[in-house]
Amino acid sequence: MSVDLCLLCILLIPLAATGLALIHQGLGRSRSAAHAMLATLCSLAITAIVFVLIGSAWMGFPTGLAHIVHVRHAPLDWLGAEPFFGLGLRFGVLHRPYAALVVALGLFAVGMASLIPISSGSDRWRLAAICAASVLFAGLYFPLFGHWVWGGGWLAQLTPLFGLPAFTDVGGAGVLQVVGGLAALSVAWILGPRQGKYADGIAAAIPGHNIVQVLFGCIFALMGWIGLEAAAGILFHHADFSQVVLTVINAVLAASSGCLAAVLTTQIRYRKPDASLSANGWIAGLVAGSAGCGLLSPLATIVIGLVAGALVTLLVEALELRLFIDDPGGAISVHLGAGLWGLLAFGVFGPTQGSRIALVLAQLIGIATLLGLMFPLIHMSHRLLNRLVPFRVDGDGDWQGMDIRELGAGAYPEFVVHADEFVPR
Amino acid sequence: MTLIGYLLMVSGWLLVFASLFLLAGLGQRLTFVVAGLLVELLGLGLIAVRYRSLQRGPA
Repeated sequence: MSVDLCLLCILLIPLAATGLALIHQGLGRSRSAAHAMLATLCSLAITAIVFVLIGSAWMGFPTGLAHIVHVRHAPLDWLGAEPFFGLGLRFGVLHRPYAALVVALGLFAVGMASLIPISSGSDRWRLAAICAASVLFAGLYFPLFGHWVWGGGWLAQLTPLFGLPAFTDVGGAGVLQVVGGLAALSVAWILGPRQGKYADGIAAAIPGHNIVQVLFGCIFALMGWIGLEAAAGILFHHADFSQVVLTVINAVLAASSGCLAAVLTTQIRYRKPDASLSANGWIAGLVAGSAGCGLLSPLATIVIGLVAGALVTLLVEALELRLFIDDPGGAISVHLGAGLWGLLAFGVFGPTQGSRIALVLAQLIGIATLLGLMFPLIHMSHRLLNRLVPFRVDGDGDWQGMDIRELGAGAYPEFVVHADEFVPR
Repeated sequence: MTLIGYLLMVSGWLLVFASLFLLAGLGQRLTFVVAGLLVELLGLGLIAVRYRSLQRGPA
């Protein structure tokens, strides 16, 4: 393992967070722009501290200490058991660079993933509640599933335990994107839609306020994703230099095909390409491609990206119009929908020396764990948290905007604000 | 309804998890895993329907 190359890749990951922040800020309303960016910074800060103090101990790393439960004589590694408060790192960074690099990767990755629910809660999720939810994300959800997949937990050990291929998620399609997408769905359900979004059962379009920032964020996200996928590949799948280069190529191909599929789909459906949905297609391609990144062929990656880009445009519409889920940034469709597709697609297109069905089965087991175990955990803990720290801003704040309500000043003081923006329709 | 949705989702996962211990054949396991996933989706659907009816209610 090249420590220098790995560290360089890890240092690119904050660009993914920058990209996602620009995207969800641009897709929200102008009256909540400063709040969205401050929420991003607070979330990054909280997840960094909580992950190093608590989360990294539970996430652990392959060959590290772990809690084992024996079920019918099968030793199930279900939780990391490294020292809390980063004590294992204090004297061990130079002697155990691998463990330190895993913590560094997790530190940036969890920050990036914690921004996903902020996107679905745009324009109505209170800052205090965002901070509290970020604690849960970095201290519980990510370390738990991260250990099972990246930390040598039971999903990574399906071969010795049950004779199946290991559940594979090289770049975090499940560990980061689907877990973040499930949190986004939970937050959207708890918060409900923005005021004025639905009238008489009909959805009103609330367009994002700065699509240029959204498209600019896509470029940042690509660079960050490349770093994330390459670093995770090096650390958890022993990727060599050629696989790292393939990871870079595949990331660009996945994003490109996702974006083009969204452009084409929206052109066909609405007779004009939709910029915000095309940006979502770009990110959806990245998300779907991250499950297999350096292990898939470029052709398979293009197919996966194309499906993800087309899928996300349909999902955004279905969630908004049929299920009444108000997701301003499209986070649920992009991260949950495309993430699940990417995990399944690895079973279909991924390299295997044994049975193809066994590989699909292993991926389905991971997907079932995300939906059947992680989502109830996330949604129930969010609902409990909502009782302690109410998620939703009051009705006046909804119309005023989160900037004025929670921060006391807007992001764009020189903008002309139309009077009817504050009048309930 | 939401509680039933949660219970169905967890039950679906238990079905998947139990199949790993109790069954050996690939086809049997695949059947149980797919069945477990369908139970989970049913639970998710129930929660979604509950949310949708709440949103449509006042209108």
